[in-house]
Amino acid sequence: MVIGRALSRLTGTIGYYGVLAIVALLALGPALWVILSSFKTGTQVFSGGDLIPSPWSLKGYRDAFEQVHLHRYLLNTALYAAGGTLGSLAIALLAAYPLARFEFAGRNTMVALFSLALAIPVVGMATPEFFVMRELGLYDSQLGLIVFYSALSFPLAFVILRAFLVNVPSEVEEAALIDGAGYFTIVRRIVIPLSRPALATVAVISFVSIWNEFFFANLFTASVEHQNAQLAMASFKSLFGFNVSGMLAGATLVMLVPMLVFLLLQRQVIAGLTAGSTK
Amino acid sequence: MGWSIALSLAPAVIAFVTFFLVPLGVLVVTSLADWGGLGFRYIGFENFSKLFADPVFWKAARNTLLYACVGILIQLPLGVLTGILLAQRRPGWRVFRAIIFLPFVISGAAYAVIFTVFYNAEYGLLNSIVGLFGIEGRDWLYSTSTALPAVAGTFAFIVGFDALLTMAEVGSIPRELYEAAELDGASAWQRHRRITLPLLRNVIGTLVLVSLLASIALFDVAFILTAGGPDNATVTLTLYGYRAYTNGAWGYANAVGIVIVVVGLLLIVGTRRAFRIGERTW
Repeated sequence: MVIGRALSRLTGTIGYYGVLAIVALLALGPALWVILSSFKTGTQVFSGGDLIPSPWSLKGYRDAFEQVHLHRYLLNTALYAAGGTLGSLAIALLAAYPLARFEFAGRNTMVALFSLALAIPVVGMATPEFFVMRELGLYDSQLGLIVFYSALSFPLAFVILRAFLVNVPSEVEEAALIDGAGYFTIVRRIVIPLSRPALATVAVISFVSIWNEFFFANLFTASVEHQNAQLAMASFKSLFGFNVSGMLAGATLVMLVPMLVFLLLQRQVIAGLTAGSTK
Repeated sequence: MGWSIALSLAPAVIAFVTFFLVPLGVLVVTSLADWGGLGFRYIGFENFSKLFADPVFWKAARNTLLYACVGILIQLPLGVLTGILLAQRRPGWRVFRAIIFLPFVISGAAYAVIFTVFYNAEYGLLNSIVGLFGIEGRDWLYSTSTALPAVAGTFAFIVGFDALLTMAEVGSIPRELYEAAELDGASAWQRHRRITLPLLRNVIGTLVLVSLLASIALFDVAFILTAGGPDNATVTLTLYGYRAYTNGAWGYANAVGIVIVVVGLLLIVGTRRAFRIGERTW
């Protein structure tokens, strides 16, 4: 009896870690293999063989920077992700605060419309978005992509921030209002510091999704110097030719940033995804 | 105060009108037109009748459905199982959660590169793996029978998001429900089957919806890996619309866009109804 229970607990433990290990391997295996292979030379990759490179080589990384100038693409990506994140946070917070706090005509309609924007599959509107961008003089420009990403990311940020603010008591703001503080002073001095946890969460989610964005970057850029790193991945065949190790190093660098962001800011990512999807 | 609020709302209103409302209006109007580099002419529903008569469109619709099926039948159950296991919080769960979630933040474009190499006929890891089982390797992306599973394989095992949502939901189920069942002698399997799964209705519904919407918008992996080929075996609705756009058939591309937007919104409404998403489960 005792042995039987110990045995079933043991198989339970083996099953538990066994399943998790298999899932982890299936999920991360291919990416891990690519990261390891990025430290091989082309010849080592072609010859197959060991998973662990021996000797380790940085040739792929040198090629990615020297031949393909990947740092330029990465800088663009960082610029778009940072700019788009700041833009969407500003737009979303400035709308979320009044729509969470004040009663006025049209308030509910506005909340409904901004939330609807989150539901529209924007990829279906590719052609109209292209013409809007062109008419505004935003086509193939860095500012254009920042503006577009700010607009694209604002509905999710809005929904999360408003839900957060609705649940926060408003006494401090009311006291400040009585003391004669203006609206934007209250936003700056009270609402922004108050919303810091929600802002951090939304910022991380926006940053990673803009960093990874491909479809509209492809649609809105023509010149190489405005392309992001995802586009460099798409044209890896022409960019890297048969330089497999350069290509693998490039892919590793492109995924490194969101991976680091996630590992360092796990709490925010997890909170953001859980909050965003149940809304 | 009134003016301040109006000023505060202005950026959001401008963003909404410029990048959501106007494009939506343009989409609706121009889907009824023969619109391209040469001009603009109303043709009623001709784009749609052409669209519904095109076998490639139906192939794209079928593929989109197949991708969704991979999401719902492989990714989702695996993710929910993982989430339920992680929610037990046995030693090491944080490490497993991080490892299993990590692939979720990798971009589709990087994934395309990863899997170009992974599936490569000469030096790809997949052929080495199947070789261990005595199966002959092949060029997975260039055969009409394996290309779609190969593209779907890039996301089928990215279960981190599913696991994360499940974990959060399982963590909030009241303990008492399990204690009562345990007293009645229910086994661990029975407890999960009878208590956990029904209570996960909201999460499972959300994940079904996410899978459906993701396959409609599926673009980067298919575009980079196969460009929809071979012989349209991997083409998706978004890729099909994108082709029309690059061919300069903008009115036609927008008819595809209408299908995408309408189907997307219907799926949201339908799934929310079917799973009664948003209603309390306990």
